[in-house]
Amino acid sequence: MKETNFCKSCDNATVKMYEYAKEMGLETIWDRAQAMQPQCGFGEMGLCCTNCSMGPCRIVKITEDGPKKGICGATEDTIVSRNFARAVAAGAAAHSDHGRDIAQALYHAALEEGDYEVRDKDKLLKIAKEWNVKVENRSLKEIAREVALMALEEFGKPFGKLRFLGRAPEKRRVIWDELGISPRAIDREVVQVMHSTHMGCDADYRNIINQAAKAALSDGWGGSMIGTELSDVIFGTPVPKKTQANLGVLKENYVNIIVHGHEPTLSEAIVIASKDPELIELAQKQGAEGINLAGMCCTGNEITMRHGVPMAGNFFQQELAIATGAVDAMVVDVQCIMPSLSEIVKCYHTKLITTSLKAKVPGAIHMEFDEEKAVEIAKKIVREAVLNYKNRKQKIYIPEEKAQGYVGYSYEAILKILDKVTNSFAHPAGTVKPLVDAMKSGVLRGAAAIVGCNNHKVPHDSGHVTLAKELIKRDILVVTTGCGAHACIKAGLMSMDAVNYCGKGLATCCELLEIPPVLHMGSCVDISRILTLLSDVAKYMGMDISDLPVAAAAPEWMSEKAQSIGLYAVSSGIYVVLGVAPAITGSETVVNYLTSDIEKILGGRFEVESDPVKAAEKIVYHIEMKRKMLGI
Amino acid sequence: MTLFDIIFTGSKQALEAAKGVVQDAISKKGEEGKVAFPETAYSLPTFYAATGKKLGTLKDLKDALSIVESLIVEEQSLEKALNAGLATALSAEIIEACKYATQEKPYSEPCAGFISDAIIRSLGVPLVTGDIPGVAVVIGEAPSAEEAGKVIKGYQNKGLLVFLVGKIIDQAIEAKVKMGLELRVIPLGYDVTSVIHVVTVAIRAALIFGNVQPGNLGDLLKYTKERVPAFVNALGPLSEIVVSAGAGAIALGFPVITDQEVQEVPHYLIVQKDYEKMVATSLEARNIKIKITEIPIPVGFAAAFEGERVRKED
Repeated sequence: MKETNFCKSCDNATVKMYEYAKEMGLETIWDRAQAMQPQCGFGEMGLCCTNCSMGPCRIVKITEDGPKKGICGATEDTIVSRNFARAVAAGAAAHSDHGRDIAQALYHAALEEGDYEVRDKDKLLKIAKEWNVKVENRSLKEIAREVALMALEEFGKPFGKLRFLGRAPEKRRVIWDELGISPRAIDREVVQVMHSTHMGCDADYRNIINQAAKAALSDGWGGSMIGTELSDVIFGTPVPKKTQANLGVLKENYVNIIVHGHEPTLSEAIVIASKDPELIELAQKQGAEGINLAGMCCTGNEITMRHGVPMAGNFFQQELAIATGAVDAMVVDVQCIMPSLSEIVKCYHTKLITTSLKAKVPGAIHMEFDEEKAVEIAKKIVREAVLNYKNRKQKIYIPEEKAQGYVGYSYEAILKILDKVTNSFAHPAGTVKPLVDAMKSGVLRGAAAIVGCNNHKVPHDSGHVTLAKELIKRDILVVTTGCGAHACIKAGLMSMDAVNYCGKGLATCCELLEIPPVLHMGSCVDISRILTLLSDVAKYMGMDISDLPVAAAAPEWMSEKAQSIGLYAVSSGIYVVLGVAPAITGSETVVNYLTSDIEKILGGRFEVESDPVKAAEKIVYHIEMKRKMLGI
Repeated sequence: MTLFDIIFTGSKQALEAAKGVVQDAISKKGEEGKVAFPETAYSLPTFYAATGKKLGTLKDLKDALSIVESLIVEEQSLEKALNAGLATALSAEIIEACKYATQEKPYSEPCAGFISDAIIRSLGVPLVTGDIPGVAVVIGEAPSAEEAGKVIKGYQNKGLLVFLVGKIIDQAIEAKVKMGLELRVIPLGYDVTSVIHVVTVAIRAALIFGNVQPGNLGDLLKYTKERVPAFVNALGPLSEIVVSAGAGAIALGFPVITDQEVQEVPHYLIVQKDYEKMVATSLEARNIKIKITEIPIPVGFAAAFEGERVRKED
């Protein structure tokens, strides 16, 4: 690992900034990853257990005489599956707590005072109908209040199953019920995993993974879906719009504010505050031309989907953004915020502002966000950034890279776009029929979702970008969310010109529909949009999600959220290719279960393939196999 | 069978047929037998436009078969399916050329067969001005003469140029559709391969009016897609050859609307079983918007009737 350029990114701006940061003597994620080598094999294989104070225990596999059981007697299968299940539970918890905050925000929106409002009435009424909420002779606020309360109950209701499970195809629900993994209440499933993985509780790896699957499903069809659906209700359902991406969106003569994190409750309020005439005037008084807001990671995805706010970069670019010297404030809430940011801001004037009690960082300024006074607090935060402009030190280096692309492809937007190719005399409008016809005729071979993070174990962005290019070349439509979306837009794959990378079939579809071949469907909780779309396609075709010629990939995943996403995708019947091996390799049994046997039970399975070109081949093989089984 | 497999099958059948026909023609006229369509400067227009080569003898035709064969690559992708469709068009052109090479007068009333350059030039201006708002190619057989008449007159009344291929010709006669170039309804022939004579109209339009260089297939397909407002109505049972010919139409950018149960392709292959809606469906599919004021008179009124001759007995 003694390479001079450890940062292998396919993104020029990242490489430039990494080299610049090195010159400046700054430490970045790549340096820390390099310093960590070699990483602990026991942890890497999932064979280390610290669940009680008799431990830490480790299973030694490379020598014959090493311990083969933990002190309590737990085998490698038990330890590996428990560790995996806890990671899934943590991921589900993160998404679900996000969803809870959004439900809270809707509750505030339903009250008379407050800064939020119901912006998408149709979507609220659609959910109300889905949940059997009475709508006749009731005000929108009353309906919103009841929907919000019902959504909040989803987290801890004592009886029944999650309401959004009703969206899944019938066959899928039967599979879940028969296996006993239909999630009941979101928090309960997370708690149950924590309970069962406690010392001396569940030792059956299949049972442990089933429970993890249940928690994961409570994320995808629960926490994340609530987060997405209610965010749309409050902030509007995304529609296609043009935006820019990469570090080049920072502007030297403007007050640059980066919102980083996940929850749109904060970022939406910052969007409003950044347009406040008084604050813009204040910025001009400080000598700036105005206020330039940019987003990072998923909160960046949220505000670009709804407002076209430029996307500054993805997970691995957060430190580099500050190293430009042009960021006057980085405002963060929760999740995927590197604690190292507080170190790197010390070298600059940049203010790191934390806003959530759930995520404080030593060395950062904490300005507690409150949904009840959202815009007021957002203005305070923006003011802090504006007043910080004059403290800039004269060392600004903004790489010029910036790509154009189209974002905002919500499920609703996609349905509307599909109407462009329906014939008003021959077809119904507002259905997934055109998509189904394109797939059944073979014009489109299938669809794949590319999601997930960045990880130093994979060259930055290249897992996402290479895979996307390989798939669209073979007439496979790509949808993407999260940091995968950032990677794809930076690589130009969300521009209309990207049809040049496509096979004839996909190119034809893109030209007819006026869409790029890689569709930005939002943040990580917005993967629930993909579940909704797949469910409707499956239902239209009268089959299960597992029958569809589709696949998912997380080429550069790193977080526990990604593990929850992966498992709920598999549990929903989807073939999931991971670019990084999860910490399960210590148990051949668990590996075999998750990559093979589970398919017979749930219809989906994991595949580990670090080479994106080979991953594409495997996805193509899977999709063509599904087509054969469908006779199309 | 997948839609693409049907296309490949049809293309292979067309190629086999072309091989047989060329062999027969050679046995009658010899390899040096002359091959030419009447009154054209564009040789075999589809071949000429696609490859830049003029074919003059039966030996040339025989050699050209390998080009056709090379276009049929049985991989499941739209690109290969469209190429196979073009191969079918080329096979049809070879078969039709052999008819002209071996027979004194392969087509007789009411069928027109090959359309001369002069006629295409005369159609150019009304096509450019929008006086002819579209070109309908009706192929096959409607359930009855009544439906056939309804569909054809529907286009005729809107000033479209209509080409007929197959049994629909007899049905049109039965339904008392007035036909002829000046009435903008042109029966081409009864064999499915005679559909190539309307394809070459579109192709020669690209060469004559679009200044597309022979051999530049990309520009040719772009021109026909963007500038020739044609579409196909495929009526009655669809053989594999008709489906693969349909893929050829789609390659040129022309949507196909059929009354048969097939796997639809968004925008390009549309099922419409209601004959009352056939015309409207087709016009929308090709984005043909007609600026007309419908005058409530008991007879058909359109530019298509301008050249009509009223005979004594009428």
